[in-house]
Amino acid sequence: MTRAILLAFLLPLAMQAQIALFTVANGAETPVGAVLNLGKVAAGDTASVRIRVRNIGATTANINYFFVDGVGYSLDRPTLPFPIAPGSVQDTLLSFTQSTVAPLYPANLRIDSDINSISAIVIAAVVVGPVLTVFPACTGSLNPPSVDFGLVQAGQLRLCNFSLQNPGTQDMTISTFKATGAAFQISMGPSAPFTIPAGSAITFVVNFTPGTAAVYTGSLAIETRTYGLRGTAFNTPLPTPLLEFDSGSVQSSQQRRLTMRLPTAATSSASGSVNLAFVPDTTIVTDDPAVVFLATGTRSLPFSITQGSTLISIGGQTSAMFQTGTTSGRIRFTLTGVPIAGDPTTILTIPPSALSIDSAIATQRTGDLDIQVTGFDNTYSAGAMTFTFSDIAGQAIQPGAIRADFTQDFRTFFTQAKGGSAFQVRVSFPVTGDTSGIGSVDVQLTNSAGVKSQHLIFQ
Amino acid sequence: MRHTLGIILCAGCAFAQSGIEVPVIGTIVDSSGSLRSVQGVAGSFWWGPPGVSGALSAACSERLCLVKTDTKILSPTGETNAPPGPAIFGVTADDAIVFFPMTHTFARWHDDALDPLDWAVDGEVLSVLRRDGEIEIAVRQDGHVWIVHPDGSMVDSLADATGPVTLLPDGVLFATADEIVVRHPDATEARFQLAGAGSIDAMGPHYAAVHIGGAIYVLRTENGRESLFLLPGTTP
Repeated sequence: MTRAILLAFLLPLAMQAQIALFTVANGAETPVGAVLNLGKVAAGDTASVRIRVRNIGATTANINYFFVDGVGYSLDRPTLPFPIAPGSVQDTLLSFTQSTVAPLYPANLRIDSDINSISAIVIAAVVVGPVLTVFPACTGSLNPPSVDFGLVQAGQLRLCNFSLQNPGTQDMTISTFKATGAAFQISMGPSAPFTIPAGSAITFVVNFTPGTAAVYTGSLAIETRTYGLRGTAFNTPLPTPLLEFDSGSVQSSQQRRLTMRLPTAATSSASGSVNLAFVPDTTIVTDDPAVVFLATGTRSLPFSITQGSTLISIGGQTSAMFQTGTTSGRIRFTLTGVPIAGDPTTILTIPPSALSIDSAIATQRTGDLDIQVTGFDNTYSAGAMTFTFSDIAGQAIQPGAIRADFTQDFRTFFTQAKGGSAFQVRVSFPVTGDTSGIGSVDVQLTNSAGVKSQHLIFQ
Repeated sequence: MRHTLGIILCAGCAFAQSGIEVPVIGTIVDSSGSLRSVQGVAGSFWWGPPGVSGALSAACSERLCLVKTDTKILSPTGETNAPPGPAIFGVTADDAIVFFPMTHTFARWHDDALDPLDWAVDGEVLSVLRRDGEIEIAVRQDGHVWIVHPDGSMVDSLADATGPVTLLPDGVLFATADEIVVRHPDATEARFQLAGAGSIDAMGPHYAAVHIGGAIYVLRTENGRESLFLLPGTTP
């Protein structure tokens, strides 16, 4: 008689059904019956189930009571009261946790609306849970329960050894035992279901085999517990790339071509940056801003390599052009962003050279002879000049060679120009008398690397 | 004959003070419509600071720079109203011949004034230049490029010019299907393998800019010193 009364009480109270309760797992709804069994829960673990309240009526249901009464149970739901429109749902989370082993933990789950009420009995058993131990090189953590496989080279295998112990006094049946997630797989160990005798342990191995460089996640489910699995894969270090330049001696004021290739095919795709830096020989300036990659006018370009290829694409091209500037020194090429087996740093030395004249012109004005020279001095030591004027017949005009030293003027210019050593200098000579017979001038420009001569005919 | 020489550095010259300055190879209208100088020497270039904005066209001689905005021509000394759209300049020391493609009209610019010219030139005007006192006009008619005087008399023709054409003080610069050609009055030529030229602009007395997509190539045009470079920051 008592049992019959109890069963009658357990029937869900849904006389004028407007709201209904469901559990939700993997998106699928299952109606909540008279008893909702959470099953076995390992001591100290938390079991949770999503409870969905669905308004199946034609009017708004106002929820004014929604509780779970029982030791170890909790319900995460909106603050009461709350409405649910017709056809709408409200999801909540029912959780249970207990540290004391016992075969039955009951609770009453009840929801009241202004139309109808529903009740269900919730039960769970707390059992001794298996103890999982992970061995190096993998590492484990408890909160949240997870296992880290660490850093692994893409394409390589990392094995993780585990022990699963039954600390209880009764045999333990393991029904759920599986690894999920790309790159994670149980490779050695028993298949579920299996039994761990009281006080005993089994061992198993999980493989981590990442195919490409990425962060991988997965899970290891053992009965009621789920452990997060995580591993990070990096690309195979590249063989040291070869940085090569177009043929011909390297000098200032050139636009050169850089190509890069691998000595052997890449075992994986990779990308990074090729960078250049400049260290001048002189102490007058600290840099030459004209030393840049031409595609962007900057000192860094992205590069990429496709698995199986030796070709390295720079900024989407097969090569990259750069300027050597107008300063003697060293252009240093480096690669960043990818692991490389060796040091790919390549130095391109720009040697000191005699002053370079890009263009020069000699002109006459009334009372003046003007000489304009455009060029660069990659040693930053220019200033000493000699001018020898000749008549139309080519005979030197007295007083012969005229020497001048504009070293300080050049030094002041170089420190202020901040664009390398390119310059345009104009030297004017006041002259008296008839200038029509002056035909040419020989100009000698001296720097620390040599003397540059230029014969100019007056225009 | 006897001459007496004394020396000063740049006394009274336009470069003032130090007498030394950063060389400028020319000017160009950048992709944002700002007039920019290009500084440096052959093979080592960098951009100068942006100048006039809203520029559609520009041209410089050694002494004069003119800029066309949508409705005006700007000069270092002022501005004058002009027909809308870009312009093709033939700039000399103190004046310029200007062609306005949108109205297909010519005018002479001088002293910030614009005098209309009643020249009637059929076809697509490509370039204008005053050479030795004579006006030369490069024009494409029926797919063929002619260099003519304003009265229609022919100076020359460019049989293989299929792309842009620019008349230079010391020759003509034009694009074929796959080359850029610098042809000088003495008939010497320099050819560079470069396909797809969209436009060619004279940057200054000795350099021209060849636009191909987003890339700007700098071509040195002096006879015997022709060479092709890429301007930094312009992706080929």
